[in-house]
Amino acid sequence: MTPPRANPLHLLAAFGSGGLLTLMIHFNGELARYGNALFASWTAHGTGTIAALIFLAVLWRRAPAGNAPKIRTPLWAYLGGVSGAATVMFSSIAVNSPLALSGTLALGLVGQMIFSLAADRWGLFGLPMRRPGARDFAALGLVLAGSAIIILFGKGAA
Amino acid sequence: MTLWIVVASVAGVLVGVSRQINGRLSLSTSPLKASFWNHAVGFAALTALGLVIGGLIPAGASDVPWHVYIGGPIGVVFVAAGSWLIARIGAVNTALLVIGGQMVSGVALDLLSAASPAIWASALGVALILAGMALTQRRR
Repeated sequence: MTPPRANPLHLLAAFGSGGLLTLMIHFNGELARYGNALFASWTAHGTGTIAALIFLAVLWRRAPAGNAPKIRTPLWAYLGGVSGAATVMFSSIAVNSPLALSGTLALGLVGQMIFSLAADRWGLFGLPMRRPGARDFAALGLVLAGSAIIILFGKGAA
Repeated sequence: MTLWIVVASVAGVLVGVSRQINGRLSLSTSPLKASFWNHAVGFAALTALGLVIGGLIPAGASDVPWHVYIGGPIGVVFVAAGSWLIARIGAVNTALLVIGGQMVSGVALDLLSAASPAIWASALGVALILAGMALTQRRR
């Protein structure tokens, strides 16, 4: 099965959420400056939990009543937050190593891309399997090369 | 040095793992509910860790300006968006499009904050990223 390719709406959503990530890292970095990395991540997860509850409460009415029953949820599917919390610890250790911020970012992108290739190839964690084609690898290479240039020469050199 | 390289790469892998797991949860619930669980479970895990190693509420905590706390709510939208995307366009496309948005907005932020990035490198990087993102839009 060939899954649908990204359409402009997906591109806009992903590009926008990349922008949100930049803002999030900026604000959480400020939090860490007042305290430490653990405090920053703990606080961000706490305020995020409250914000998510508010968003859910506001959007609750608009959910269609009596829609088709969804597929069963395995217990491990609730543990994404553990992996997210561990990310904070690993990256804050790496940032304070000789790799510094630029090395941590660059290697983090490589780790993320290698995992996502494996995740699509074998449909890891119950998501659909998708075999990446030549165009996907080309897109991947361009984005990684561009990111590496920005990280290693655009700002890290300063 | 090898140890640091492993640690930094694992951090990247963990980003992918949590997006994959949250994406799976959103299939059974919704992207926003997946984001709620991600934050609640992460908060519980970090609370437990902080109680063990200490440093959860450092001395400077009371000096934090209120607007800095907006990072948490932004994260909720970010995780929900990632969960929505990964179930539709897959892990590779989601990762490379989000990375592209992160890099380009980071360069824009640097320009605004007068951090004077090396302009040739930033411009070349942005051009390569945009070309890669355009490739994901072409039909087979």
